Order: sequence, then C-alpha cells, then structure tokens
Amino acid sequence: MNDVLSQPVVVEGDVAAEVEAFLTKHWDKENGRPRDADGRIRGWMEKVFEAGWAVASWPREWFGRGLDKDDARTVLAAFRKAGAPGAGQDRTNISAATLMTFGTDELKRGLIPGFLTGKYTNCLLYSEPGAGSDLAALRTRAERKGDEYIVNGQKVWTSGAHKADFGLLIARTDWDVPKHQGISFFFIDMRQPGVEIRPINQITGDSHFNEVFLDNAVVPAKNLVGKEGEGWKVLQTALAVERLIMGDGAGERRQGSSKSNVVSLIDIAREAGKINDPLIRQEIARATAYRQLNALNVARAKEEMAQGTSSPIMSLGKLAMSRILHTDAAVMTQILGAASMLDGADNERAADVNYRTANAYMTSIGGGTDQIQRNIISERVLGLPREIELDRDVPFRTSRAVTG
Amino acid sequence: MTTIGIEERAAIREGFARLLSEKASEADLRRTMASDSGHDTDLWKAISDMGIAGLLVDPDHGGVGGSILDVETIMEEAGAALLAAPLLSGGVMAVALLAESSDADLKARLLPAIASGETIATVAVTGDNGLWTRDDIGVVATAGWLSGTASYVLSANIADVLLVVAIAGDGVAVFEVDSKAGGVTIEPLQAWDPTLRLSRIRFDKVAAKVLAGVDSSSVERTLDLARVALAGEQAGAARRIFDITVEYLRTRVQFGRPIGGFQALKHMAADLLVEVESATSAARAAAQALAKGTPDAAALVSLAAFACADAFHQVAAAAIQMHGGIAFTWEHPAHLYLRRARVDAQLFGASAYHRDRYVSALETAA
Ligand SMILES: Cc1cc2nc3c(=O)[nH]c(=O)nc-3n(C[C@H](O)[C@H](O)[C@H](O)COP(=O)(O)OP(=O)(O)OC[C@H]3O[C@@H](n4cnc5c(N)ncnc54)[C@H](O)[C@@H]3O)c2cc1C
Repeated sequence: MNDVLSQPVVVEGDVAAEVEAFLTKHWDKENGRPRDADGRIRGWMEKVFEAGWAVASWPREWFGRGLDKDDARTVLAAFRKAGAPGAGQDRTNISAATLMTFGTDELKRGLIPGFLTGKYTNCLLYSEPGAGSDLAALRTRAERKGDEYIVNGQKVWTSGAHKADFGLLIARTDWDVPKHQGISFFFIDMRQPGVEIRPINQITGDSHFNEVFLDNAVVPAKNLVGKEGEGWKVLQTALAVERLIMGDGAGERRQGSSKSNVVSLIDIAREAGKINDPLIRQEIARATAYRQLNALNVARAKEEMAQGTSSPIMSLGKLAMSRILHTDAAVMTQILGAASMLDGADNERAADVNYRTANAYMTSIGGGTDQIQRNIISERVLGLPREIELDRDVPFRTSRAVTG
Repeated sequence: MTTIGIEERAAIREGFARLLSEKASEADLRRTMASDSGHDTDLWKAISDMGIAGLLVDPDHGGVGGSILDVETIMEEAGAALLAAPLLSGGVMAVALLAESSDADLKARLLPAIASGETIATVAVTGDNGLWTRDDIGVVATAGWLSGTASYVLSANIADVLLVVAIAGDGVAVFEVDSKAGGVTIEPLQAWDPTLRLSRIRFDKVAAKVLAGVDSSSVERTLDLARVALAGEQAGAARRIFDITVEYLRTRVQFGRPIGGFQALKHMAADLLVEVESATSAARAAAQALAKGTPDAAALVSLAAFACADAFHQVAAAAIQMHGGIAFTWEHPAHLYLRRARVDAQLFGASAYHRDRYVSALETAA
C-alpha cells in the first residue's frame, strides 16, 4: 500500500503536484487500473469528474477547475503518463463539448455529468441514405407538438447506436428555408419505442454501425441544443470535436476498445525476418515518416496556439491520419508477404493487418471523407473560392434532394 | 500453337461471360463463398461443358486446343465475376504441367478427365514462405517418396489429383499424387478472400509418380503461364469494379448533383482508367509474347505480373473510397474485389519480386 507520509505536500494552485497526488492516491500505475477494491473504471471516472480533472479548463461551476491552457495540458500529460483515462474531455467528449457550448443550463446540468463519467453513451444521428457528405440535405423531420418534438425519418451508418443512451440528432424543423437554415440539433433518448435499430455488417467483419429508424420518436423540447433552425452551427462544433479525435488516431483502436493499437513496423519486420530487407526499410521509413511528421505538425500547432496564434495545422490532422492508417496497413501487408493472404484466429498477425486494411476507411470516409476534408482545407483554411453548390440558397422544399 | 482464331476466341469469351452472368452472379458467389467447400459443382460442370476447363488441352485429349491467348481472355471474364472455381489451378496450371510431360499414358489418363471437369487437379509449388521460387520449394523427393510441406495451394480442398513440385536430388521434379493417398494431410488455410480456398499440404513419406520429362524449366514455364492468366484475372476484375464505381458516380447525388460532377472524383476516375487500360494491355501483350515465344516474353510477363497486381489493388482500394459509406458494408461487392486484389497480389510472387525480374530481363536484352 501507499505510504501516506511519503505523499507530496500539496500547495493549493500547484496543479502539477495536485494532479500527481490525485493519481498516486487513486490510480494503480503498475497494473493500469483504479486502486479501488473493485477496480471499476466507472468509479474511477466519477472520481476524476468530481475532482474537476475531466474538463480541467472549464469553470468550477461547470465541472472544471478553470485552468489555463498550460495547466490543463499539465493535467492531461500527467494522466497520459500514468495511463489513466478521463482527463482532457473538454476537447474529446463530443456530447459534453457540444452541450457546454450550446446547451441550456438545465441541459448542461442534466446531461454533462453523465457523459463525462461514462454513465451515458452517445451515438451520432447525422448521416442518412440521401445525406452523407451533403449532410444538410437531411430529410428526417422533427415537428413541434407542445413541449415535444415528434421525429420521423431514417439515419444510417450510426456507430454504436445499439449501445447508446442518447443520440445527437440533426433533423429538419423548417422546409421553407435553404437547407442549412432549417436544421435543429437535439439530444434524443435512444431507449424508446419510436427508435428501431438494425445492425449493418461492415467490411471488417464487425457490425458496429446501424440503420436507425425513427418512427414518431419523441424528444422533449428542452433537449433542443441551440435555437431551432440553428442546428447546423451546433453540428459544426460537434463535428470539429469528432475530427479532432479521428485526427488523434481514434481509428486505430479496435472499435469498442479504448486502448491505442499502434504497433511498430520495426517489430513486425523483425518478427517476419525482414528488417534487413532494403526495400522494406524504405517502406518503413515512408510510413513512419508520415506518422512522425504529423506528430511534429500537431506539436508545433499546439505551441503556436499556446502563444495565442491560431494554427491551420489542426485542420490537417484527420486527413493526415487517413494517409497514415492506409499506408501503415499497406506496408504491413508488404512485410507479411504471402502470409497477408490469410486471416482468422490461426493467423493473428495477418488478421490484425487485414483489419487495419479495412478499418482505415473508417478514418478516410467516416466523419467526413478525405475529399470533403480537402474541400474544407482549401476553402476554409486557404480561402480558395467555394465549390459551386446548386441548391445552397433555394428553399429546401424545392431542392433536388426533395424533388429528386 | 493456337488453333483458335480471333473471332472464335471472341465467341468463346461471349459465351463464357453469358454463362457467368447466369450462373455466377454476385448472389451465387456469396452463396458459394459461404459454403464449406467454396465450390459450386453445377457451375463447374457448366464451365467444363463449355470446354473452358479443357481450353488448353489438345483436341486429341478431349480439349479445345487453345493457347494462352484464349486463357488470358477467359480469365478477364473470370476476374470480372470474381469466379470461385478451380480454373487457374486446374484448367491452366495442371494442364500446362501435364502438357510438358513426355509420358503419353499419363496424359491420356489425366487430360481428358480434367478437360471434362470430372477430375479436379491442382498444383502445389511453394513452401511456407509463399515466394514461388526454387529456394522456397518445401517438398523433397527421395526415391519416389515425398516429404515436406507445400503451402498456399489453390483448391486443394476439392482436388482429386495433386501435382507436386519437389526437390529431387540436384534438380526439381514434379510428382503426381492422389489427394487421398496415405501420408497426405490437407490443412485448410483461412484466406482473407472468402471466395478462395487455400491449403497447406503435408507430405509424410507419400508414394508418388514422377512426371517424365518435366523439370525446373517446365515449372518456370507453367508459372509464367499462370502469371499471365492471373494478370488477365486482375485486369478483368479491375475493369469490373471500375465500371461499378463509375456507374455509381453517375447516379449518386450529393449537393444537388451526381458526385461524378466533382473534380476530385472525376480525376480519380481518369487516373484509374489509365490503370485499368494499362493492366489490360499488359496482360494481353504478355499473352501474345508467350504465345509467339518472342524474345521480350520474359520482360512482358514480369511487367504484366506487377502492373496488373498493382492496378487491381489500386482500383479496388479507390473504389471503396469513391463509394463512401455504402462500400464499408459487407453487402456491397467492393470489398470482395479488394480482398481478391490483396490475395492475387501475392500469388506466384509479389510485385517486388516481379519488378526485380523485369529489370533483369531488361538487362539481358540491353
Ligand atoms: C466506419 C464508419 C462509421 C460511421 N459512423 C457514423 C456515425 O456514427 N454517425 C453518422 O451520422 N455517420 C457515420 N458514418 C457516415 C459517414 O459520415 C459518411 O459515410 C460520410 O460522411 C460519407 O457520406 P456517404 O457515405 O453518404 O458518401 P457520399 O457522400 O455519397 O460520398 C460518396 C463519394 O463522393 C465523394 N464526394 C461527395 N461530395 C463530394 C464533394 N463535394 N467533393 C468531392 N467529393 C465528394 C465522397 O468523398 C465519396 O468518395 C460512418 C461511416 C463509416 C465508414
């Protein structure tokens, strides 16, 4: 057990020492689990939340500690070093960050704690069969009836819908204005009769994503986030968080696992006896360089942001990660050679590489395709002229998405 | 030398394509790939009845007497449909090896049965490294007894006859083995491409009959033939998934217009068309060179091997991206093409090996 006397004396305001003390007291670094007898992650997440470490940069009255950027980074670094989850959610928790920016006080108080502690899970009810890259063409409708909205329509590719408590839903509330202006953003309770979830089989062999049918599903009006008709703006915040996460390599994790899944190409090449193959060495250099250069970009962007200048680099992360993941899988395939033809439990390494080969598309398609990311970078970061959009300014009701 | 003219070849191709569209649709393929054997007996019978299993078999032995030109043509169609059948391993490789033999009785016994589809034959070449090189032969013959392992063998799970490449003394010889013979163990290898069945075969002192007159150069010739056949499959498969993709670009509407109107996708499609056409040209040129035995045959076979493998892979990989979410689903065919592309890219030697051979051939010619 921990010797209480050997713990550092904590001076109020010394964030580094405070977070160290917290981690030492509650987190078992050696075994990578909470010290609590039952070692449950939920209990740990609650402690992190109560101590304000989950969203350290947010004000104290809103679950945080009001820390500046530097101190918040110190907290995150300490958690990472200890291998402890739960910190830094001000930037990575899609639901909490969206609610914090646009939610009413009532909604923030009601939902954020649940999302930060992992009591609530979410899914993203954005894409529809006819509205993918062109999300604003969505046709799911939400109609106000007294204190409620009644929702009808179909969503698709909804990751994790079968496990989610809440859906971040975008639906059309006004059909007589141009498409971006008639959309509203809701938190919908997924566990209700009007929500039917059908799993879709993925090319990875998993079925993490789903079709979601909304048939007179009900959302209390208080679960509207932002004003009615301002859902597009709210969505941009939610999407930005999602893209940041994907740029951070979320697509590298086996879905359903929180563990990072980075394996070293060097190790794989050694294992395959090909580390001295000059061709393989070139390929390892190419793939590893993509990864390292991206990491250097991100580090420089963070520094620049800490100095108060905004950095365009952050917009590049997801696109960069897509190339990293596809290249990694290709180089691993080359290293494995003939063994890459195989799959299944008897061929663990090959199965892993195959999974990566297929799952890399989650990052290059999900959350906005590479093509859309390139449009965003060239238009919003570089300020190049926008692609002409035929139906941008016409009432949605008269646009091709409706008239066909 | 070929006895089939251009028009007849086109007619065979058309008939085969029609057969595949009737009996080897995507739905049929999905049923076959989900089955234990991965084999569709009715389809194989229909293919054999058309003469395709005996395309390379001479008419004296009940075949069509075709050449690599015909095989390459047929394989383009087979690739387009991702055909799951013992055509490459049996109709092409086994027949080619047997044709190399000087043993008239052996040919009279096996070739007619292979041509009619009654006997399924396959060829075991490489060892566990899957390099398809002489150094990677994993079976040794001692006084007519085989021991060792052969790996990545196509369709061995349904084969009656195994033609096994083995080290014999200082050289290489090929042996005929009954797949049910004592000492033969066929272990299924799970392939990432569910439409293919691969096996690892262990030989434990197996009595085997040597193929008279077949040596390492016969094996090399057979492998080159197989590479050109595979190149045809890759070119045909690349074209089909490309066509599927372009069709989708025409019909899928986002932002008020077909997505094919976006330059990002248009340019990708244009680049892929270059790949598809190049693959087709490479496969056909290699077939011509092999058929005529021209001096540039070695270079053209190697070129086709890597150019077609790389093109198919590139087109199949891009096809998923160009479709978006729909191609991330198991029910969409795009991933089946990617799976085949990734497995094909390793068969009979990977691209790096063929690039190396290509430069060697260029050196020799220079
Ligand atoms: C693994 C995975 C998980 C997902 N999870 C979720 C989820 O949880 N919730 C959710 O709502 N959605 C989810 N999605 C959906 C994802 O956001 C969409 O698939 C994506 O936005 C693309 O939309 P789409 O599939 O309709 O393709 P489309 O938009 O039809 O795109 C087809 C092709 O057209 C291209 N294209 C489209 N517009 C343009 C343009 N203007 N310029 C150039 N090229 C263009 C695309 O890049 C793509 O190549 C997920 C997708 C995947 C693959």
